Amino acid sequence: MTYHIQLTTRDGQPLEFDCSPEQSLIDAALAAHISLPAQCCQGSCGACYASVTAGDYLLGEHNPAALPAGNANGILMCRTTPCSDLSIALPYDHAKILFHTVPQRLAQIVALESVAENTVRLALRLDSDADNGGAAEFEPGQFMELEIPGSTERRAYSLANTGNWDGLLEFFIRLQPQGRFSAFLRERAQPGMKLMTRGALGAFGIAEGSLRPRWFVAGGTGLAPMLAMLRRMAEYREMQAARLFFGVNRESELFALAELERLKAELPQLVVEICVWQPQGEWPGFVGTPAEALHQALAEASVQPDIYLCGPPRLIEAAEKAAAAWGIPPDQVFSERFLPG
Amino acid sequence: MYCYQCEQTDRTNAQPGCASARGNCGKDANTSDLQDLLVHALKGIAQYSRRARDLGAANDAAGGFILYGMFTTLTNVNFNAARFVSLLQEAAKVRDQARAAYESAAKNQGLAPEALTGPAAWQPAADLNGLLLDAQKVGINAGIETVGADVIGLRALVVYGLKGVCAYAHHAHVLGYDNAEVYAGVERALDFLADDPTDINALLEQALALGHVNLDVMKMLDAANTGSFGQQQPTAVRVSPIKGKAILVSGHDLGDLHALLEQTQGKGINIYTHGEMLPAHAYPALKAYPHLAGNYGGAWQDQQTEFAAFPGPILMTSNCIIEPQPQYRQRIFTAGPVGWPGVRHIENHDFSVLIQAAQALPGFKEDAPEKTVTVGFGHNAVLGVADQVIDAVKAGAIRHFFLIGGCDGAAPGRNYYTEFAEQAPQDTVVLTLGCNKYRFNQHDFGDIGGIPRLLDLGQCNDTYSAIKIASALAEAFNCGVNDLPLSLVISWFEQKAAAVLLTLLALDIKNIRLGPTLPAFLTPNILNVLVEKFGIQPIGEARADIASALSRKAA
Repeated sequence: MTYHIQLTTRDGQPLEFDCSPEQSLIDAALAAHISLPAQCCQGSCGACYASVTAGDYLLGEHNPAALPAGNANGILMCRTTPCSDLSIALPYDHAKILFHTVPQRLAQIVALESVAENTVRLALRLDSDADNGGAAEFEPGQFMELEIPGSTERRAYSLANTGNWDGLLEFFIRLQPQGRFSAFLRERAQPGMKLMTRGALGAFGIAEGSLRPRWFVAGGTGLAPMLAMLRRMAEYREMQAARLFFGVNRESELFALAELERLKAELPQLVVEICVWQPQGEWPGFVGTPAEALHQALAEASVQPDIYLCGPPRLIEAAEKAAAAWGIPPDQVFSERFLPG
Repeated sequence: MYCYQCEQTDRTNAQPGCASARGNCGKDANTSDLQDLLVHALKGIAQYSRRARDLGAANDAAGGFILYGMFTTLTNVNFNAARFVSLLQEAAKVRDQARAAYESAAKNQGLAPEALTGPAAWQPAADLNGLLLDAQKVGINAGIETVGADVIGLRALVVYGLKGVCAYAHHAHVLGYDNAEVYAGVERALDFLADDPTDINALLEQALALGHVNLDVMKMLDAANTGSFGQQQPTAVRVSPIKGKAILVSGHDLGDLHALLEQTQGKGINIYTHGEMLPAHAYPALKAYPHLAGNYGGAWQDQQTEFAAFPGPILMTSNCIIEPQPQYRQRIFTAGPVGWPGVRHIENHDFSVLIQAAQALPGFKEDAPEKTVTVGFGHNAVLGVADQVIDAVKAGAIRHFFLIGGCDGAAPGRNYYTEFAEQAPQDTVVLTLGCNKYRFNQHDFGDIGGIPRLLDLGQCNDTYSAIKIASALAEAFNCGVNDLPLSLVISWFEQKAAAVLLTLLALDIKNIRLGPTLPAFLTPNILNVLVEKFGIQPIGEARADIASALSRKAA
């Protein structure tokens, strides 16, 4: 027995597949050669969030922080099984859905450097192969899964650079005390080593067709996808108004400031607000979280912007609340959560 | 949004037209509305330019902007709303320059300049919402409650035909070919539309006048293509891949292709044509490049699967782009009037990024078995063997000519054209142009005494070849074109085809069969006029239509 699943993308395009009551929606879609954005597939990251518009379902065990607050019909498709035919609204465009196998490719570490307190910059170069050549094709905002050498465990990290023809992948990674990939980076990784990558994945990214100002709110290494999006705007000479709120806990956690200055030179319309929550010294900039800076800025905004959020769940929630308080419609708020995994 | 400019417009409701958040072509409502507003702004430029031209102060730079601006609004050309925000600002500046030039010319001649209203007085709003509010007032069906569907439909016929005229003229313009009469004709048509005309006869007259302008345009474009790249020569084109790095070039712009061939010389990259670029292989100055390797894929509507399978970058030079899929979104590039949000746009023929992409991407892993089609039967090639053709007609070896051409598309009804071409009797010759040919150009038609039964005249841009060949045959047989054993079976999709149709009507070509459906903007009353005056008729069943054409008495 199977149920009919009807998906509608944000840009109004329909997709359909069948799903048995024992199957997750993500797995059934994959079986139908539809690769929907997903990441952990364990109900914890929120990458496969969607809204049911008709039908009954079971939402299995999951991390409540992975679902945006206030949507009673919100589901994580990796943890949802159908109890009837379902209609589901996807929060991303059709262009974010893959209809082919996600590439798995070897890459070599070409740079690994500390850029701030507990933060490293990791650069990889994809090996050239017969199916992909040497290109690194991905959309800004997407992430890659990196496999810890010697194991089958993978961790997902947002790409900070833009698609390129040199095979380069750039990441800014926060070293977690108990993180396994962090341990690999701290203890074993060095330039020249190879590791397996899988991707690019994810639906987070610029709403390309929108003409509204683009506001980016980043916490810590949540800056990575924002850098990718801003770099892409600079490469394509896109002139939409843009504003970045980049926040850290302490000044010592700041990174990529020179790159932000370079981007300001290339994107004259870009306004950057560096926010430090608990400055250790005399911090001349905004003191507080980027969500607080967003709240203040929205008070003075003449046009409602699109808002892009990336960082820890508490930052995302606070920023979503700020957006809601100023009447920004939910479909103008795009988020990518970090969750420990 | 409200748009019914193309063949695939929504016909599910009583009033046909795309009127939701997203048209059937994939264009979003903001982009569609801003395009309507751009057409309005271009009318304003033309109001002044036309008057300045009448006073001997023509401004061809403004004319060039009009051509480009109109071209961006065709179906499947530019989907990037942000581009239209800046084009609207630019249009206001060009209009201000045109006004200044007109007022200066008037004063120099001791005349009081007219105070123009309507589009001439439009000022761009400061923000997007303001622009979109303006757009609501100037959509294609604005005023329909007052003037009725027939007037709106005829205005649409003129606007859409004009879009096609401008697109063709832009193709010539970028090759350095311009014509003051063409600019004057375009300005006249836009100025006419700026007054919101309601006189049915005047609208019909303008539509046919535009058809004559387009004849000049097609002649100019023919001169541009052959002047730049030589006369088309019959040429066998490989339609199967060759091992190695590859770039695919789609659209119509031979100048873009030429620049890319030049920049990729000696780099070990094969260049493939796609869709309407196929006839490029017939031009001596283009086929001289050994790395112009072949043609890949079919007509435009199949691009999402074909591009996904192409192992290199893709360049879209003009119409017809549809939404790039994730598999190739990073490696598709636009040029000229084309645009898609989030897709890299190449300017000034700087193809360095495209070349870098080709070198990084895998290319074809192996040679596919060789397969070819023959192209290159432009007017020069066909008329070069005119005596042989005329003799064959006189001897009864060639009973009839069918011109089966125009645009292709996804509609199932387009199978008609395949059936028509393949079922055409062995003593008939099929002339074709446009991308409609992909429905039958790999079929083995054979020949009649050495004359191929399928003659590919080129792109839809090469309509002038068809007209020239028909005119030459009529002259040889001392009759009118309508008296020739020739039937036109036209497949339309978008506004270039509307321009060509107006030209054929302006030349008084009768009994054209048009499909797969008739334009939604042609109301029953307008259609009646076209039927009465020109015998235009919808396609029917292929076999019956062939029989009917073969038994038809001359018009």
